[in-house]
Amino acid sequence: MVAFRSSDTSARSTGLLLRCFLYAALAVALMVADKRYENLGKIRRLLSIVAYPAEVAVASPFQGWAWLRESVSTREALRADKARLEEQLRVAQFRLQRYEALEAESRRLRALRDATAGVGARFLVGNVMDVDLDAFRERVLVDKGAHDGVYVGQAVLDAGGVFGQVAHVDEMTSEVILISDAAHAIPVQDNRNGLRTIAVGTGEVSHIKLPYISTAADIVKGDLLVTSGLGGGFPAGYPVGTVTEVKRDPAQSLADVEVSPAAALDRAHELLFVWPAVGSTPAATLTPATTKPATTPPRSVKPAAAAIP
Amino acid sequence: MMRAERIRRLPMALSALVALTLAIVPLPEVIDAFRPDFLVLVVFYWSIESPRAGGLTLAFVSGLALDIIKGAVLGQHALALTLMAAWATHLRLRLRVFSVLSQCLTIFALLTGYQFILFWIDGATGNPVTSFGRWLAPVIGALIWPALVGTLSRLHER
Repeated sequence: MVAFRSSDTSARSTGLLLRCFLYAALAVALMVADKRYENLGKIRRLLSIVAYPAEVAVASPFQGWAWLRESVSTREALRADKARLEEQLRVAQFRLQRYEALEAESRRLRALRDATAGVGARFLVGNVMDVDLDAFRERVLVDKGAHDGVYVGQAVLDAGGVFGQVAHVDEMTSEVILISDAAHAIPVQDNRNGLRTIAVGTGEVSHIKLPYISTAADIVKGDLLVTSGLGGGFPAGYPVGTVTEVKRDPAQSLADVEVSPAAALDRAHELLFVWPAVGSTPAATLTPATTKPATTPPRSVKPAAAAIP
Repeated sequence: MMRAERIRRLPMALSALVALTLAIVPLPEVIDAFRPDFLVLVVFYWSIESPRAGGLTLAFVSGLALDIIKGAVLGQHALALTLMAAWATHLRLRLRVFSVLSQCLTIFALLTGYQFILFWIDGATGNPVTSFGRWLAPVIGALIWPALVGTLSRLHER
């Protein structure tokens, strides 16, 4: 049954070794060039335009199905949806009233401190494309690219909190690395007491971890972690996750802290690309006296850059 | 002879495109790790079936396509796929007379070699995936090899 029926059964493989060598050399040269020099980005972008139709072709049946389901949904379902959304809007507006008061208060306090830790100024909404990149890396493809001004290292949020950052930009699409990817680290801060550290991905969407917390550090289950804005990659003050478990082994110098991400990493479909507010340099407003070197290892110097492969 | 090879390029390109699509179709997370490397298997098939119709070029181009779609270092999959396709071409006459079991074992070795080169380059570029899950793809790939050969050879008999 395993039938090869080609007439080409000659044992000669003319120039196989030579061609294999040539292609392999070309591939190695490409890898070195890609790693060493940034100017391959343009070539990659051009090539990705060729791949875009394939990606769209894969994603479109799923989008079509969603559209079909939406267009045949019943009147009842729509009414229920409307009632639910109105309810949510009421709650949101109620919260917003308080938010505006709080923002005004915060602005006054910041003016007092003469610090300008501004949050993101401009947003762009992108949709996750239904394309599977790699089963063992936490990455998603989003339908906004260099064409829309997206850049490598840009912070990406969803409705719940920080989602990740842009790892690659192509012309029409971009690849976002999730905060749960094993190669990703993000500077965070405990919202309760301001303790600064780095949150590192584990490769599983359900949790991330804080590997650089000493056993003596004041961190308890239920603490909210927000971005610290250090390193300049992420705007400060966005929720990253909640501490779910703190294991302190007296024999170890570092505690084992697990965090459940605030963003819906495995469900989010709409993502927000954030452009930082012009002139805001949150990292520059922190004096050396307030940093805690014990909890931040040397790696924290450029955590955002460390995540880009 | 030339004519026959020119005709064969169409099913070659078509099957590679279908395999590329299968490689990126979203699957539930539970079975995602069990996804075989369809494109790699298709490239192996054509390397064995008609190496003179450009099996190695197909391997290199498919590898580049994988690099771009997966966002890997440009040339990573291309290198792994070229080397393993060349090996498959070298083994092709022996493979034809092998029993199904021996064929599957050979394909398993080729797929493992492919994964190993990827793993090695991942490590060399400071971006390793240490999960054991990645070594599952060669097993699944070797298991579906007979079915794939049956499908593809029927396809281009037409």
